[in-house]
Amino acid sequence: MNESALQPPLLLFEQVSKWYGSVLALNQVTLELTRGITGLVGANGAGKSTLLRMANGQLKPTMGRVSVRGVDAWDWRARRLVGYCPDLDAFYEDLSGRGFVWVMARLCGYTRRESTRRTEAVLERVGMRDRADRTLRGYSKGMRQRIKLAQAMLHDPELLILDEPLSGIDPIGRQELLELFQALAAQGKCLLISSHELEALEKLTNHVAIMARGRIAAVGTLQQIRDLLDDHPLSVRVDVPDPRAVARLLLALPDVLAVDVSPKLPGEPGVCVVVKARNPKRFFQQFGALVVEHALDVRRLEPLDESAHAILGYLLGGSGRT
Amino acid sequence: MSAGASSQSNITSRQSALRAWCALVAQSFQRHWRVRAMGWIALALLAIVVVWVALITERGAWNLADQRARRGAGTYRQEAERLRPANRYLAFGNVIRPQDDAPKEARGERLQAHEIPNPLNPTEDALRSLVLAVPKAVTDSDTFLREWGFVTYSRWVVHLLFVGFVLPLFTLAYASAAFGAERESRSLVWVMTRPIPRSAIYLAKFLGALPWCALFGLGGFVALCAVGGPHGREALVRYWPAAALAALAFAALFHLLGALFRRPVVVGLVYVFFFEAVVSALPGSLKLLSLSFYARSLMYNEAADAGYPVELLPAMAAAVTSKTAWWVLGSATVALTVAGAALFARIDYRDDL
Repeated sequence: MNESALQPPLLLFEQVSKWYGSVLALNQVTLELTRGITGLVGANGAGKSTLLRMANGQLKPTMGRVSVRGVDAWDWRARRLVGYCPDLDAFYEDLSGRGFVWVMARLCGYTRRESTRRTEAVLERVGMRDRADRTLRGYSKGMRQRIKLAQAMLHDPELLILDEPLSGIDPIGRQELLELFQALAAQGKCLLISSHELEALEKLTNHVAIMARGRIAAVGTLQQIRDLLDDHPLSVRVDVPDPRAVARLLLALPDVLAVDVSPKLPGEPGVCVVVKARNPKRFFQQFGALVVEHALDVRRLEPLDESAHAILGYLLGGSGRT
Repeated sequence: MSAGASSQSNITSRQSALRAWCALVAQSFQRHWRVRAMGWIALALLAIVVVWVALITERGAWNLADQRARRGAGTYRQEAERLRPANRYLAFGNVIRPQDDAPKEARGERLQAHEIPNPLNPTEDALRSLVLAVPKAVTDSDTFLREWGFVTYSRWVVHLLFVGFVLPLFTLAYASAAFGAERESRSLVWVMTRPIPRSAIYLAKFLGALPWCALFGLGGFVALCAVGGPHGREALVRYWPAAALAALAFAALFHLLGALFRRPVVVGLVYVFFFEAVVSALPGSLKLLSLSFYARSLMYNEAADAGYPVELLPAMAAAVTSKTAWWVLGSATVALTVAGAALFARIDYRDDL
């Protein structure tokens, strides 16, 4: 324990910004990972892939520093500590799966014998050992994902960066890979997994980093993030036949901060209430009880704060997709 | 996984950057072999050029005496024979006293005004005969014909076709593909995420492509020379060092383009056809920026040292010395490679563009 405390963080982003011309892709990102599985979630264009590419030294920060165990991620030595599974689906298509992984092992600097041994070991681990002799162009999406994962694990890296590793995997294969990720985490590896599959990610870990517009909007366990969200009031539109009566009931709830009766909103005028509430989760529980108790005729319920809605969508399930 | 964690240092120590680099050189070389389409295109281009040179050689284009002097005239050898004093007098006699059975040339139909003998002015006639006998002397001189043939072959096949077209295109096809092909297929990420310094990746890719550039560049030269008859064989012996050095310099340049541009072939073609082809032929000092100018200078000096009439190479009147050309081509190769490695080590790798 003391030894690990003395070591620099496995992955550390320090006030990192990245510009692509006039586009700000990452904005003052600070992130520290030491072990376990961290899910990286965010909408398309939020900066997830840029962050992952910086972590394995493909991109250089415009400002700030990215380091792996204290070594600058841009330095080639840092890549000995990092395994990267990209989201793109491009291989040396003429090679077999086994041949591809073996070449990757050779490019890690292993001898031929060691490369063969490691190739067989990782193919076994991703369940491809008996299917690895066909050329890659004939593989299904799931098999290609497994081969990508195999090459990332070749040099037994401390940090595994996986960009959409579950994409295209069938449910059984997905379960196998989730178990594999958990096993790797149990062995002390650190996994940073970017995924749109939030339901699968929730099964894997409760530690997430949420990205929005190039920033880390929140990082921590799901509970910690929910607690943070409690401080952000949420505006909710409630369409009811008698808005004044409902407003009186709502104002009696402890988490309601304000109620606006029949504001100018799109839709039928005079039949809605906009309520501003803190602690959205608790408010919805109280509101549900209120509806049941007073048999309210709620015709429409819509959160109006889109950014809060998006974050709630991530954390409370929603569609399960960003 | 405590065992795994504790063995991390052992695992890392078993990884050798040098071994990885050597594997990358071999892998880069093999990638070119596997991408056969490009090789076939290059071979097809080479085949077309070789067949064309072979046909020209077969028609005796490198022998001045067998070439047609002008439209409607015979070969230089026939013209020289016709201008001999005896034949001119014979033709002149036939003009004065036409004989129907005399040959067409003897009837004086092709006798030009300046060719008509003037027996009434022996001095002028002697001088005219002397001048008009020069073509005969030339076409009877094996030395002149051989030298003219070699210089003409050098000018059209080696300088224009090989240095101006075959060599740049072949080196462009292979050197730019070292990065370009993998960037296009988006598979370069596999190399870029290996624990190898970026400058070493650049160098390894260059060394992997170099044998192919040499094979097709110099192989193309050998093929062109092989079908060029004696002149081709002599050109091969005299010019191969210049061709090899030029191949190296072009490969370094196009490898750099492959690393810096997403469409290196387009940029390279623009360079070959607009810069090398036009600029190197311009008068003035602008041609000093062209690599092919130095390769041609080396060849020019080699031919001049061997005593060939290099004045017949009009575009090379301002050739630099061989020492300068060697120095510039060698330095350009080193400088382009070092600059490429340094730049490549600094630029981001993006596969999403």
